[in-house]
Amino acid sequence: MSKRQLAMVMDLNKCIGCQTCTVACKTQWTNRNGREYMYWNNVETMPGEGYPRGWMEAGGGFDEQGNLKDGIIPDMVLDYGVPWDYNHEELFEMDYLKPDTDPVWGPNWDEDVGAGDYPNSYYFYLPRICNHCSNPGCLAACPREAIFKREQDGIVLVDLDRCQGYRYCIAGCPYKKIYFNPKLSKSEKCIFCFPRIERGLPPACAHQCVGRIRWVGFLDDEEGQVYKLVHKYKVALPLRPDFGTQPNVYYVPPVLSPPKFDDEGKLIEGGETGRVPVEFLEKLFGPGVHHAIKVLKEEMEKRKRGEESELMDILIAYNHADMFRLDENYYQNLAAEQGLKGTEFFKIIDHRYVAGANTPKEEVKVYFEK
Amino acid sequence: MKKLLKTALLGVVSTAVLTNVAKADIKSFFKWEVLPSKYTEGTVPSDPNDELWSMVPGKYVYLYPQISVRLNDAQTNKIIPKKKLQKALVKVVYNSQNIAVYVKWKDNTPSIQPVYTSNAFGDGVSIEFPNKFGKGITLPYIGMGDLKHPVSVYLQKTVAGRDYEKTFISEGFGTLTEIKEEGVSIEMKYNKATREWVAVFKRPLKTENSDLRAGLVPIGFAIWDGNQHERDGNKALSRWKFIRLKKYPIDKDYLAYISWGDMIHKEGDPKRGKQLTIQNGCNACHRYDDQNTAPQDMAPNLSNIGGIAHAPYLKESLIDPNDVIIRNLNPNRHYNKFVKPDKTGAYPNNDMYTWYIKTPDGKIQSKMPSFAHLSEQDIKDIVAYLKTLRNWRNFK
Repeated sequence: MSKRQLAMVMDLNKCIGCQTCTVACKTQWTNRNGREYMYWNNVETMPGEGYPRGWMEAGGGFDEQGNLKDGIIPDMVLDYGVPWDYNHEELFEMDYLKPDTDPVWGPNWDEDVGAGDYPNSYYFYLPRICNHCSNPGCLAACPREAIFKREQDGIVLVDLDRCQGYRYCIAGCPYKKIYFNPKLSKSEKCIFCFPRIERGLPPACAHQCVGRIRWVGFLDDEEGQVYKLVHKYKVALPLRPDFGTQPNVYYVPPVLSPPKFDDEGKLIEGGETGRVPVEFLEKLFGPGVHHAIKVLKEEMEKRKRGEESELMDILIAYNHADMFRLDENYYQNLAAEQGLKGTEFFKIIDHRYVAGANTPKEEVKVYFEK
Repeated sequence: MKKLLKTALLGVVSTAVLTNVAKADIKSFFKWEVLPSKYTEGTVPSDPNDELWSMVPGKYVYLYPQISVRLNDAQTNKIIPKKKLQKALVKVVYNSQNIAVYVKWKDNTPSIQPVYTSNAFGDGVSIEFPNKFGKGITLPYIGMGDLKHPVSVYLQKTVAGRDYEKTFISEGFGTLTEIKEEGVSIEMKYNKATREWVAVFKRPLKTENSDLRAGLVPIGFAIWDGNQHERDGNKALSRWKFIRLKKYPIDKDYLAYISWGDMIHKEGDPKRGKQLTIQNGCNACHRYDDQNTAPQDMAPNLSNIGGIAHAPYLKESLIDPNDVIIRNLNPNRHYNKFVKPDKTGAYPNNDMYTWYIKTPDGKIQSKMPSFAHLSEQDIKDIVAYLKTLRNWRNFK
């Protein structure tokens, strides 16, 4: 659909679930104006219900023939969780810490719960943003065709002028990464920090990541580390590829979970991925997970033997400049092609995203001269 | 060719005005499809509680669940087969400048879209007028017009914290474009005692987009029940009704055109019509009645087309499908998995599900073939059959 496609890779072996990405996103975009409950970026514990609760079973996406599937719209209180505050003031009077509402679910409600019984319990963290899919379910579901995919880089955005708040996009997105803003009565979603991207900066979540688990770049940039992780080594895999939307956030699956113990507390040798069942990883990341695990282990062994490994060098994430190869001149060239100079560079930001930009009042007059 | 055909059609109709059949059609048309109105020298009321309304005659309009296209909200789709026929009382008052349309309907579960939820919806109501109508102009598709017949839409929704009152121009699904029209006001109030919503739409007879100064003014109605998750295409929809404004003359040709086939059940044989639809392969693309083998979304579902369409519209659709090209619901809903994706991994849309094609010279052409070759009686039988289709219980 688009000429080029931006993508993000996240290495789940390195994610420590610190939520710095979540906070970076929230303070940048979603702490105001009806977005308070939204987490365009969230980190959830897997296995788990996730955020919104049970999103994997909430429908949307495409069937095997490529037809949009029905989905549901999660509930604000039961599935997303409403933002709450604590009674910090009252603590001075020897009260105990409690929320000011009676929440039943929240964005990180089942943190670190995971699955499995002691001593073989396991979990890992799964950070999620909008996948900026190549065949987006939200875009397909919108009866007003208010959602578009940018030609320049494949970023999926909502045209806030055309959006009427019908919420079919939420049902259509299998990742439930598009949200209804009840204050504006419009749908909103992760914008891949496009105003930053156009200046050559990575999205806030990626830039702030303390574990340096995120790479950002164009999928067709063969020199870029994103390309190498996704296409050259094939160790970065899409999340739930069976949803059929061709997502563009890729995950290096967690292969470094602790080993299993038997009933007597002795180590069990072997097992592809330690305590995390490989079937579960296959459910999340598709059949490519076996190849990815094999390559990752081989390359790790290589490095342990003291040999060169380009893949391990990439995954160590030495410097931001290589991790976020945004091909800065790409956008500047686009601006130059349009004859834009200096601050006019701002004009290439797709004006469809800006509320009010898409309803020129003369449109109706033109209409009737026909 | 098309023009010739249309002239020929109108010719046939004009001479038929004299026949008993046409007289019966017109009589039935006035009884069932024409809404009375009251002329006033004073101001046209915009308040639903204005005393004047009690002195204005009204008529009931029936609204059918919209199932021509299927949306993708699982919870909403589950409710559709259980929905009931919606009934609204309509009254019209006009003076030399303005017109007001009063719509009253029962709703035991009044709902307002709340300020802080993700999945609750408000009640709403809207009316539409074709931007152009009258002699020689065919009826638009009832669902917000079509590519050749733009309509003006007036919408009131109940959203907490603000007045969600909007005016749109539309030429089919997905094309609502918000506009500002001078002198438009919509009031909507709930009567707790009678459990009824009342809405009054007031607008100038003539706006920059449409001129309603005519003997018979087409008007369409839609009602949304927020409690049943209704919004957008999930709604109840009437067929075109016609307001009789006695201050203006009725165009005989237009009357003959829109009343054609109002008694089609006497002239056509629905049983034979059904057989003809199967023989002619209508069921290859459309779903209707017990014919549900066509792929979902391949063409509009016709299961309650008899409730929302008029006989002349159905006849035109058969003879000249290009006259009423209904815009596809978002064509991205189906992609073609059987070709190679592009370099970003995207599959192209599946053309099988688009309802019209663009010819090299930029014209749009309906994918539905013309059935003009059928005999007049065949057409009447098919239309008679289609008019019997008013059921949405099989919706899946």
